[in-house]
Amino acid sequence: MKTLKICNISKSYRGVPALCNLELTLSGGRVHALMGENGAGKSTLIKLLAGVIPADSIKLLKDGEPVSLTSAQDAHAAGFRFIHQELNIVPQISVAENILLGRRYPCWFGPAINWRSLERKAQEALAFLGADHIPVKKIAGSLPSGDRMLVKIAAAFVADKEEATADLFVFDEPTAALSSDESRKLFKVIERLKNRGAAILYVSHRLDEVLSICDDITVLRDGHLVSTGTVRQTSRNALIHAMTGRDVKDAYPPRTSPIGVAPVVTAKNVSNEHLHGLDFTLHKGEVLGVVGLAGSGQGELLRLLLGDGKPKSGTLAFQMSPAPGSPNNAWRKGIAYIPRERRGEALMLSLSIRSNIVLPHLARFGWLANKHAETRIAEDLCEKVRLKYDSIEQTTSQLSGGNQQKVIFARALFGNPSLLLLDEPTRGVDIGAKFDIYQLVRAQSAKGCAVVLASSDLSEILGMCDRILVLQNGRQTALLSRDNMTSADLLQYFYTQEAA
Amino acid sequence: MIEKLRHSGTLLGFAAIIIFFALRLPDTFLTARNLINISQQLSMLTVVAATMTIVMVMNDFDLSVGSMASLAGIVAAVLFSMGYPVWVGILAALAVGLLGGFFNGFLVSVVGILPFVATLGTLTIFSGMAFLASGGKTIYGRDIPAGFSGFARAGIPLDSIGFSGLKLPYLSITAICVVALVWFVLEHTTFGRRLYAIGGNMEAAHLAGIRVKKLRLLAFGLTGIGAAAAGLMYASRVASANPTQGSGLMLDAIAAVFLGMTMSQQGEPRVLFTLIGVLMLGVLDNGLTQIKVDSYVREILVGVIVILAVAIATISKRKS
Amino acid sequence: MNKFQFYFAAAIAFCATSIQAETVTVITPYLAQPGTQMYVEGFEKEAKAKGWDVNVVDTAGDVAAAISRIEDATTQKVDAIVINVDPAQVAAGLQTAHDANIPVVGMDAGSDPLLAANVTSNGYAMAAETAVYVANRIEGKGKVVMFVFDAFPPVQVRGVIADAVFGNFPDIEVLDRITPDVSDGGIADSRAKMEAILAANPEPGSIAAVWAAWDQPALGALQAIEDAGRGGEGIVIVGMDANPQARAAIASGGNFEASMAQDFQAIGSTTADVVGRLIAGKKIRAKVIYVPTKLITSANATE
Repeated sequence: MKTLKICNISKSYRGVPALCNLELTLSGGRVHALMGENGAGKSTLIKLLAGVIPADSIKLLKDGEPVSLTSAQDAHAAGFRFIHQELNIVPQISVAENILLGRRYPCWFGPAINWRSLERKAQEALAFLGADHIPVKKIAGSLPSGDRMLVKIAAAFVADKEEATADLFVFDEPTAALSSDESRKLFKVIERLKNRGAAILYVSHRLDEVLSICDDITVLRDGHLVSTGTVRQTSRNALIHAMTGRDVKDAYPPRTSPIGVAPVVTAKNVSNEHLHGLDFTLHKGEVLGVVGLAGSGQGELLRLLLGDGKPKSGTLAFQMSPAPGSPNNAWRKGIAYIPRERRGEALMLSLSIRSNIVLPHLARFGWLANKHAETRIAEDLCEKVRLKYDSIEQTTSQLSGGNQQKVIFARALFGNPSLLLLDEPTRGVDIGAKFDIYQLVRAQSAKGCAVVLASSDLSEILGMCDRILVLQNGRQTALLSRDNMTSADLLQYFYTQEAA
Repeated sequence: MIEKLRHSGTLLGFAAIIIFFALRLPDTFLTARNLINISQQLSMLTVVAATMTIVMVMNDFDLSVGSMASLAGIVAAVLFSMGYPVWVGILAALAVGLLGGFFNGFLVSVVGILPFVATLGTLTIFSGMAFLASGGKTIYGRDIPAGFSGFARAGIPLDSIGFSGLKLPYLSITAICVVALVWFVLEHTTFGRRLYAIGGNMEAAHLAGIRVKKLRLLAFGLTGIGAAAAGLMYASRVASANPTQGSGLMLDAIAAVFLGMTMSQQGEPRVLFTLIGVLMLGVLDNGLTQIKVDSYVREILVGVIVILAVAIATISKRKS
Repeated sequence: MNKFQFYFAAAIAFCATSIQAETVTVITPYLAQPGTQMYVEGFEKEAKAKGWDVNVVDTAGDVAAAISRIEDATTQKVDAIVINVDPAQVAAGLQTAHDANIPVVGMDAGSDPLLAANVTSNGYAMAAETAVYVANRIEGKGKVVMFVFDAFPPVQVRGVIADAVFGNFPDIEVLDRITPDVSDGGIADSRAKMEAILAANPEPGSIAAVWAAWDQPALGALQAIEDAGRGGEGIVIVGMDANPQARAAIASGGNFEASMAQDFQAIGSTTADVVGRLIAGKKIRAKVIYVPTKLITSANATE
């Protein structure tokens, strides 16, 4: 495919326009970034291209030929492939089966599956992507998330051998769940797809990523096209301006108050089944970054501090007394936690904003539910986190990702915690909301709240943290001071042991 | 508007059923006597369904309520036949219900077995215990004290408010009290709010500091007590105890909760909606018997209506 | 909701009949049992001849629902109610009917002051006849397996009598007294239980007879014995009620030798007679009305 012209595409929900008369041209062999804040219309565009929602008006020209798009089957036949951030592989079956899922399995005779041929096909698809380190017989659920993403891509790719060629790959926030190392592998794969002549539409919130791997950039705001052009013609600041409509001079608010002296968390040689040799002291108002390759134990470290699991050896103290033994105990002592998976671990999507905010703090209202007091406090907190909402009683499923994250922040800020545990707090959050979140963290730290921030976004770590703890396979390998470090410097520590 | 219609679809269906029977049976259906009859006929199912709502709020469910009801009736009856006074039998039966419920809760929350499997297991355990304790016999006649069986036949006379010869049965009053209590616990205590949070997202609730294990244990205990109470009511109503007599309650109770879930905002169980679900099933039974619809046709109709209500709610939810 | 109403109306139009005729409601939790079906058939046949409007309600094993349906029928002011369920368990409903002056007749139900009459077979006599048949066939000695069901009073009576008969023969030993699980009809579980007993008593001749309080366990035991290859040991099987399957087994001349035929149809039609007399305002003096029974052996099984 040489070009895919998307003309005159519009969609509105109940009279509210989500996309207005958008025009976009994608070219084979080029990576086209699609950017914009949450609610700008990116997801709507993807859903229209996938044929899963009907457009109000749509016109597609593939190399000048019109393409009709009324169902997901049409999209597939047109050669469009979609890779979403949710890694929706089937965890119980093998990698090979995942790759050929939905295709006709190769058979011996009748219904008997020819497993060897099936595995060979899967192997070929992976090899093409340069991902032949993934064993095809392995059960897919046991793969790390980066490899799962590659399996998904292989699955999108394998189809074209028998059916329509895939000429458009749409990546929707593919790196949201990946470590930087895994992301690099993914970028290599995207490079290969591009060299093969496929067009790639790449949706991401991560500016650095977009600037380094994309050729063209289109920015949407409120359903309208704001700017489009090549990457070379644009800059970081211009992009932020285009997306938010305002200038963001400094994404990370600077520290304005000194770090305290009183220790909040003291870990002395702490180990459990996932973590080894944790040794650090976290002071009042200090922000500690936790980094490492994906799955190195960042999440486990936060959970340990939350009391979900106990240290097997060593001593772990919170404010000079033994660390809490359960999440219940931790919240009561003023430890607040923001989990990594917003939907899976933090929110009750079917419950109201109010219920979600007050949930860990219900005991403070007594055994009788006090809706008035809850509403008052929840509304105060919503204002503090600058949540955009209609009613405190609306369910959190109706909020955008960034606003959902703010609800979780409001929950954490209830009653001014003395320790804030953040696991990827800005993942999948748009630039504007990110900035709000950084300011909230700074404000808490200024009040003396200690913060532990686990993140795979190294610029965020460098921008926010005072000290940085590096984990390798659950072992603490370095405790660094932030001064004058760059991402490249920091990245070195991820691999030191392998190098040595 | 469409949103409103979706939540009230089942309610409209209920109203349609009532209007239909009222037109079809002008002399007998909407009479005080018949309505009181219905309330009494439904009292046991109401208690089981209301307490079943407590666990279903957490996305769990309890298949063992029917056999727990049978077991509770047998425990009380066996104690009566050994000469113990009525209150001892009742307390012992409720205690058995609480312990059985805790056992379910223990299996589900502490051991971590799926509720379907765990309560399927205890269903047969409780049923077997009921057979064992009774020797497979129906305990009836002189073994059941009049004070116990009389409860189901007595009530508060309504002569003073113009319904001469009628009484509000104690069974109905018990059921109303249980519904009120469950409503208060689920909607107006922090305990209930936490249960809804567990139903919304168990992992998130755990990480937000809710003692999920303990609360699930307690909730199953309450469902167990409810089942035992219903079993006692049943035994009182039939003035006998039989090791299988409660088994019909479980499926109807779950069906009632599901019917109720079609009426709530987010499809979550609410006890007042459960009550409407119970009433729907009961009114159908009563009305269809009166217009002499074959009992098997009646069963088919009840199933069709449950599926229809849930299907309409599901489809309209998908569309909105 | 219009559709709803339409289907309802269709269902009702299907079932609706004339209003002037006497209406009688038959209520039982046990309509799935073949015996009950035959009572009801006999009753309906007779009722049709009398021009009544009969409504049969099956509560599928639920006794409390039977009370509810008695109350509903009372509300509906039927002319009479017929029950096939233990009256002691539905006393609450009987009281309601009694207060509304609606006569209730038991169709093989049991006796109760609140019942106008109960029509049944003489269970004591029937059990005595089959038990004595067994005792005589095995010449007063050997091990006997009993299948009983004490949860249902009319069947419990049979067990008591058989206990007494066997107890009176010093050389007869009751090997086991089994209550099969009847939720699947009773044959399958009885067969499984019998297989276990056969396995536990492998020597030929160690089991002399099987006495079953009704036919299904006898049929289950027969299957177990034949499949174990022990059909030639001369184990005597007797059942009760003589349902068609049992008659066929008896007629084939195998181990299943005898059963008692209750005249279910006659119980049904006699019940209809009693109801007819009550509706006509006549008094019933004997509260229990027995319908004759007959021993079925290979000689008369095909009649």
